[in-house]
Amino acid sequence: MKKLFLCVIALPLSFQIAASEMEGHTEVHDLMAYVLDPAAEAIWDSAGYVITEEGEVNLAPTDQEGWDKVKNGAKVISESSYLLSMPERALDQTQWVALSMALKGMGERAFKAAENEDAEDLFKIGAELYQVCVACHQTYWIKEE
Amino acid sequence: MKIILRIIFCLSFGAFTLQANAHHAFTAEFDPKAPINITGKVVKVEWINPHAWVHVEVEDEEGKTIWMVEGGTPNTLIRNGITRETLVPGTVIIVRGYQSKGRLCLPRCIANGRDVTFPDGSKVFMGSSGTGAPRDGADPRESKR
Repeated sequence: MKKLFLCVIALPLSFQIAASEMEGHTEVHDLMAYVLDPAAEAIWDSAGYVITEEGEVNLAPTDQEGWDKVKNGAKVISESSYLLSMPERALDQTQWVALSMALKGMGERAFKAAENEDAEDLFKIGAELYQVCVACHQTYWIKEE
Repeated sequence: MKIILRIIFCLSFGAFTLQANAHHAFTAEFDPKAPINITGKVVKVEWINPHAWVHVEVEDEEGKTIWMVEGGTPNTLIRNGITRETLVPGTVIIVRGYQSKGRLCLPRCIANGRDVTFPDGSKVFMGSSGTGAPRDGADPRESKR
């Protein structure tokens, strides 16, 4: 009897918790703006060159702190693939999930490049990361003029 | 339901792009109804992902103006034949592109570059594919509608 009472109490409560968890999920828009984009910026800003008449400045990190920033961004990118693939966020279970999971490989490669302090590789990965972003945005976001 | 979700998703991304500069859709930053030709001397090249930036000094009777011209990823530019060695400060180029929304040059003049003409007359696509830019024939990889 006691068990049945507990079940009766717990069942609606669990639905309530589930519902509030759903409501609590960050929108894809916020996930992009506050999680993925800053992480991608950490990768993009850490590789490349600024060229002027005075010469060329290499943007690659020059200390451990700089490379750790890249590693942090890389991990956020790879783990965000799961966040985007969650059923509450995925617009479909095929292309959306495939494109989201492509980020995982990008993040893992960027992390490896940072571990090896390989700025050239990080630069290439940055370009490929952008192609993954564009492929997804073309399908689910961008409207052509 | 999916259509509604997609609309919400697109609208929220639209808001996001207003605050994002490095990575954005064409229409969030640039005006497809404001084409522009920029002729001037390259003074700075930011060879970075996700977009290379070419700073062009334009001189007219009113003085000098610096235009920041957004290009595709450095990898895309390299594939099109534009390299760090060919796009160097001091080169006089003609850029065909589109002005930023508002066209006010405040705080600086910004444009999206579609193609660039070099002193030898060669014209090369310098933009990004798939970002929602007008299909104006500049990108050899996409068909005109």
